[in-house]
Amino acid sequence: MCDRHQIGESEHVNIAVDPGLTPQAPLPSPAVISAAAVSKSWGTTPVFTDLTANIPKGITGLLGSNGSGKTTLFGMLLGLHDRNGGSLSVMGEDPATAGPELRQLIGYSPEHHDLPVDVAAQDFVRHLAEVHGLPKHEATTRSSDALWLVGLGEERARPIGTMSTGQRQRVKLAQAIAHGPSLIILDEPTDGLDPVQRDDMLELIRKIGTDYGIDVLLSSHLLEEVERIADNVVIIADGKTVAAGRIDDLQIGQGGAVVVLDDQHEAVARSIHEAGIAVRIDGGRLFVGNDEPIEAIGAVVRDAVATHEASLRRFGARQQSLEDLFLHEVHGE
Amino acid sequence: MTSEMQPNAGSAQIYDRGYRPYDGDRTGVSGAVKSVFRASIERALGLRRKFRFKIVPVLTIVIAYIPALIFMGLGVLFGSEVAGDVGAAEYADYFGLISIAVVLFTAFVGPELLCPDRQSGLFGMYLASPLNKWNYLAAKVGALTLLLSLVSLFPVLFLLIGYSFTGQGPDGFGEVAKTVGQIIAAGLVVSIFYTLIGMAISTLTKRQGFASAGIVMVLIASGVFAGILTEATNAPDWVRAFDLISLPTDIAGRIFDEQIVQFENVSTSMSVATLFGVMALCAAIIVGGYQRMEVTK
Repeated sequence: MCDRHQIGESEHVNIAVDPGLTPQAPLPSPAVISAAAVSKSWGTTPVFTDLTANIPKGITGLLGSNGSGKTTLFGMLLGLHDRNGGSLSVMGEDPATAGPELRQLIGYSPEHHDLPVDVAAQDFVRHLAEVHGLPKHEATTRSSDALWLVGLGEERARPIGTMSTGQRQRVKLAQAIAHGPSLIILDEPTDGLDPVQRDDMLELIRKIGTDYGIDVLLSSHLLEEVERIADNVVIIADGKTVAAGRIDDLQIGQGGAVVVLDDQHEAVARSIHEAGIAVRIDGGRLFVGNDEPIEAIGAVVRDAVATHEASLRRFGARQQSLEDLFLHEVHGE
Repeated sequence: MTSEMQPNAGSAQIYDRGYRPYDGDRTGVSGAVKSVFRASIERALGLRRKFRFKIVPVLTIVIAYIPALIFMGLGVLFGSEVAGDVGAAEYADYFGLISIAVVLFTAFVGPELLCPDRQSGLFGMYLASPLNKWNYLAAKVGALTLLLSLVSLFPVLFLLIGYSFTGQGPDGFGEVAKTVGQIIAAGLVVSIFYTLIGMAISTLTKRQGFASAGIVMVLIASGVFAGILTEATNAPDWVRAFDLISLPTDIAGRIFDEQIVQFENVSTSMSVATLFGVMALCAAIIVGGYQRMEVTK
C-alpha cells in the first residue's frame, strides 16, 4: 500500500458510495448466505453488532481489518459459534440448527498452515472427504482428482510435512473441494505465498468458482486479490457490514480526477487546494476534487501544472478502487 | 471395429475422470465417526506411516502376547498331564503380567490419538465437517478402547484359545462361556479405565511428549504414593486402592473371584468405587477440557 500524505483535514477526498449499493442493496442472484442484524460477542467483547449482508452465488471476497471478525463469521457460517441475535442462513439453512447437514456440503480451508506432517497428502484429503460424508471408494478417487486439479497430482503420496507453504495451501484447497461441496470458505488462501504462487492460487480459485460452479467465500487482507478474482465483496468494520455488493457496481459513482505527476506533487497540490478544490497526495498520484465537473478540475490542474512546470503523466476521471472503498468505509479516509 | 475386437470393448473403464461435482449419497455423521475411528486406529498402529511409527505399537503388542505364547508352548511341550489344568487364577494373573505393556501402550497411543489433532489444527477441520466435539470424542474413545483391548483383552482370549487347544482350558460349554464372559468383562474394565486416563491427560496438553510422560508419571506415582502412605504411615488400607496400575488389575481379578496381594485389605466395594471415581474424574476432565476448547481458526 502506498504511503499517504494528506493536505489538511478539509482536503480529504470523500468517497461516495452509492446508497443503493450499501448493505441492504438487493443483489442480482439468489443469496447463498444471508445475514440480517446478526450480533455476536465473545464474553463482554462485541464482535458483531449489526451484520447484514446477502452474499450471492459466485466468488465473494470478505474484507475487514485484523480482528474485525472474519474468522468468527466463518465459524458462525459453519455452525460452530452461536450468534447472540439476528438471523443467518447458509444455502437456505440456519447453520445453528442444521450444522452437520450443512457442513457436509461446505468445504473449509483454515488460515493456519499446520497440517499433520507425517501424513501423505492423498491420505489426508481422502480422510477429510470421508469425514464429509463420501463413501470410501468415492473419497479415494475424488481425493486424487482434487489433488490433480490443484497441481499436486505427482506429489500426492508425499507427506505434508515435506511440502512447501505453497503446496500446503494447495492441499488445504484440495481437501476443501474433494467432497464436492456447494460452497467453499477459504480463510486467507494466499497467506504465505510468493507472488507467482499467489497468482497461481488465485487463478485456481477463479477456475473452481467458474468452471465447477462452486460458490466461494474467501477472506483476504490483500484487496487487490479480491478485486482480481471476486464477483462480489462484503466489507465489515466495527461489528457491522459497511458495504456489500458486486465489485463492478461498488467501483462506479466516484467523482473527481486522478492526476499522475513525475515531480512537483506538493506544489501542484497546494495550488489546486488554493483554487478551492480538495486534493490528496497518494504516492505519485493526486486525487483531485469530488463532485466538480471533470472539465473544471481539468482547468485547475492544467493551470497548476503550468505554474510549477511539473511533468504531467496522466489525467483522467477517477475510478474508485476497492482499496478506496475499503479505506473510506473502514478507516474513514 | 471388427467383431474380434468387441470382447475387450465391454470391459474398458475410464480411470481418469478428472474433478467433477458430486451429487451422490453422503454417509452423514455416522460415516464421519467411522472414518475418524478407523483413521485413529491406523494412525496409532503406524499404518500408512513410515516404519519407525510402527515400532512402538508392534513391540508393545508383541510383549503382551509373549507370556501367552510361552504358557501355551509349555502346555504343548509337556502336555496337560504335566502342566496341569488351568484355573481362573491364570487368566486373572495374566492381567497383572501385562499391566506394564498396557501402561506403555496407553502412554503411547492415548496422546497419539488426541494431541496431534489439536496441534496440527486437524481438530478444527473436523469441526468444519458433520462432526462435533462429542461424536469426535466418541470416535476417539472407541478407537482407544479397541486399541487397548489389543494388549489387555485379546491376549487373554488368545491364552484361553491356546489352552483350549492344548487341553488345559475349561471343560464344557458352560465353563467356556463363563470364562469368555469373565475375560471380556475384565478386559473391557482395563481397556476403558486406561482409555479414560490416557485421554484425560492428553486433553490437558497439546504436546504429545508431555502427555506421554504425564501418563507414565501419574500411574507410577499413584502406586508409589499409595504404597508409601499405607506402609510407612497409618493411612487406612483403602488408600491402597489409589494405586492406579494395580487398581484395574485388582478389579479384573475380582471378576475371576481372585484378589491381588496388595489389595487384600481393600474391600470390593472400595475398589469398585475408586475405579468408578477415577473414571468419572477423567471423564469430567475430558468433557470439561473439550467444552472449553474454543476453535477459532
